[in-house]
Amino acid sequence: MRSVKTSPDTSTIMTEKSTHEHCVARRLLEFAGQFRGVLAFLVVFVLGIIFAPVSLKTGHSTFLNWATQKDILFEYAEIGILAAGMTLVIISAGIDLSVGSVLGFAATFFSLLLIGFGWSAPAAIAVTVLATAGMGAVSGVIISRFQMQPFVATLGMMLLARGAAKWISGGIKVQPGAKEWYAIQNSNPPIFDWMSSPVGPLGLKPITLAFIFSIIIFWILLRFTSFGRHLYAIGGNEEAARLSGIRVGLVKTVAYTLCGLAAGVAGVSNASRMTLGDPEAGFTYELDAIAAVVIGGTSLMGGRGGMFFTFLGTLIIAYISKILSLRGIEEAPRLMIRGALIVIAVLIQQSKKRH
Amino acid sequence: MIRRLLIFFAIAFVALIIAGCGKEKQVARTGKTYTIGMSQCNLGEPWRVQMNADIKAAAAKHPELKVIFKDAQNKTTVQQDQVKEFINLGVDLIIISPKEARPLTKPVADAIDAGIPVIVLDRKVEGDKYTCFIGGDNRKIGEEAGKYMVKILGGKGNVVELKGLMTSTPAVERHEGFMKGIAGSQIKIIFSADCHWLEPDAQKEMASALSRFPNPEDIDAVYAHNDPCAHGAYIAAKNEGKGREKRIKFIGIDALPHEGIRYVKEGLLTATFQYPTGGAEAIETALKILKGEKVQKNIILGTRVFTKENVNKGGEAL
Repeated sequence: MRSVKTSPDTSTIMTEKSTHEHCVARRLLEFAGQFRGVLAFLVVFVLGIIFAPVSLKTGHSTFLNWATQKDILFEYAEIGILAAGMTLVIISAGIDLSVGSVLGFAATFFSLLLIGFGWSAPAAIAVTVLATAGMGAVSGVIISRFQMQPFVATLGMMLLARGAAKWISGGIKVQPGAKEWYAIQNSNPPIFDWMSSPVGPLGLKPITLAFIFSIIIFWILLRFTSFGRHLYAIGGNEEAARLSGIRVGLVKTVAYTLCGLAAGVAGVSNASRMTLGDPEAGFTYELDAIAAVVIGGTSLMGGRGGMFFTFLGTLIIAYISKILSLRGIEEAPRLMIRGALIVIAVLIQQSKKRH
Repeated sequence: MIRRLLIFFAIAFVALIIAGCGKEKQVARTGKTYTIGMSQCNLGEPWRVQMNADIKAAAAKHPELKVIFKDAQNKTTVQQDQVKEFINLGVDLIIISPKEARPLTKPVADAIDAGIPVIVLDRKVEGDKYTCFIGGDNRKIGEEAGKYMVKILGGKGNVVELKGLMTSTPAVERHEGFMKGIAGSQIKIIFSADCHWLEPDAQKEMASALSRFPNPEDIDAVYAHNDPCAHGAYIAAKNEGKGREKRIKFIGIDALPHEGIRYVKEGLLTATFQYPTGGAEAIETALKILKGEKVQKNIILGTRVFTKENVNKGGEAL
C-alpha cells in the first residue's frame, strides 16, 4: 500500500508523453477518467429514475422525491462521514480499517456518558470525539513513528476499539434503564431526537448536516491548506516529500487523527439514530467507507483523488442500495450486484495506471 | 478507458434489469387491491423463513393482496429505513417483525401517524403506537413441555436441560415455564447448559452430560429449548455407542416442518412444541384491518404439540 514510488505522479508523465501522439484522444480519456465519479453518479441517478417503483398513492416516482432523497442523505450519512475521514488517509497512500469499530466505540461511549453518567449533550459529544481522535492519533503515531504498515496498525486498532466498546458497556446495549445505576432510567435523552429530527428550511436532519459539513470542511483542508498539499505530496511519493522538507510523520498522524475524529462524529450520529449505544455498531462499515472513496475515484495508491469525489462515491453506493431496496430485491442478488460494481469501478481505476 | 466505462455502465444497467425481472409492474390500484409491506428482521433463522412462507401462503389465498417482502439482514438501521420506504411508497398496511424494540418504536409510530396500520409480529415495540401485536407465549410453551414431561415420565425422573442463549428473553421464559410445568413432580434437572440455540454446542454439552452420568438409567429425558439442540443431544447419545438414544426421551421446541416435525416423524424426538410464527394470523388480521373492522390490540397465540401419534394429523392444539 505504501510502496515508495520512484517516479512522480504517473498521470502527469502520461499527459506529457501524450502531447506527441493522439493527444486529443488521450486528453479526452484523461478527462473522462478524472470525472468518472461524476459520470457514474449521473448514470446511477438516471437508473434510479427508471427503476425505482412508483408511489401507490400519488403515482409519482418514489426516487424523484425530496423525502426519499433526504432519507438517502440521512441513511448514508454515517458511511459518508467515515468516507470523508478515510479520504484523507487514502490520499496519503494509507488505509484505516478501524473506523467501523471506532464508530461502535464512539456510539457506546457517547451513550454511556449521556445515559449512564447523565452528562450534558455538548460535553458528551466533545469528550467522545476527542477520545476517538486520540485513537486515530495512536494509529497515526504507530504508522509514522514505527514505520508499520497502515493495514496492520489499523487492524490492531480495529480489534482494540471493538474490545473497548464491549468492555465499557459490559457487553450490553447502553440504553435508558439497562442498568440500575444509570442516571437516565426512563426518558430518551433529548439530543437523540434532536439529531434525527428535521431542522431549517430544507428539512435536513443534524446527522445529514454533519455529513455535509464534514465533506465541506475536509474539502477546504485538502484544497486550500498546506496540510492538504503535503498530504497529496506524501501520497504521490513519500520519499520525495520527505526530501523536500515536508514533516511526513506529523502530516500522516494528523490525517489519521482527523479520520478518528470523523469516526467519532459518525458514532454520535449512530447512537442518536438507534436511540442507544450498541457496542456492535459499525460492523464492516469500514468496507463501505473504503468502497465509497474508491468508487468516487480516489486512488488507493495515494496522491490522487478528492473530497468531492468521495461525496459522489457515497451517493453512488447509497443510490444503488436504495434502488435495490425500494424494489424489494432479495439480499443474494443485491450483494452480487454491489460486489460486481465495486470491483469494476476499481478495475477501471487500475487500467489508468497501466498506460 | 471510455470503452471500459461503457462496459461498466452496461453491466450496471443489465444487472439492474435482471434484478428487476420477475417483479411484475406495480398494478394500477383498482378498488379492491391492497399492498402490504413486510419487513423481516433477518432470513438467517429457519423460523423466520417459515414466517415469511406462512405469510406468502396465507396471502396467496387472497388475490386482492400483494405483499412486498424486505429482509433487514439483522441490521436495525436497515429495518428503520425499510419502514420509511414503505411509508414513502404508500403501502396500505405494514407488517414488521422487529429486530429490536427501542430503535423501531419511532419508525412504527411514524407509519401510524402517516395513516398506515402496522402489525407487529413476534417481538414488541415500546409504547402502544401500533395497530396490533401478534406473538407466541414462550412461558406457556415451556409450561406445556413441562407438563408433558411429567406425563411421559410418570411424574419421576432425571432430565437434562439444554438451554437457548440465556441472555435472550425466549430462553429465560422457556426455562421458567418448564420449571413451573414440572413443579410438584419428582422430576429433577440433573444437568443443564447454555447451548446458545446451536446444535454443535448442544452436542458437546450432551456428550459431557452422558459421560458425567454413565449408567443407562441415569438420564431419562432431555428438554431442549429448540429442536436443533434436541437433535444435537440425540446425535451425542447415538455417538456414545451404548444405545442410550433409544431409552432417553428427547423433547424440543419450535416444530418447523423441516426440523422438529421431521425429527418426530423419523422417531428421533419424542415430541416438539410449536412456537407459532403468526404469519397466517397476520394476514387474517390485516384483512380485517383493511376492511375497517376492529381488531384486538394484542393477540397471543397458543401452541401445538407434535408426537409420533399425531404428527401426520397436524399435531394437537394445547
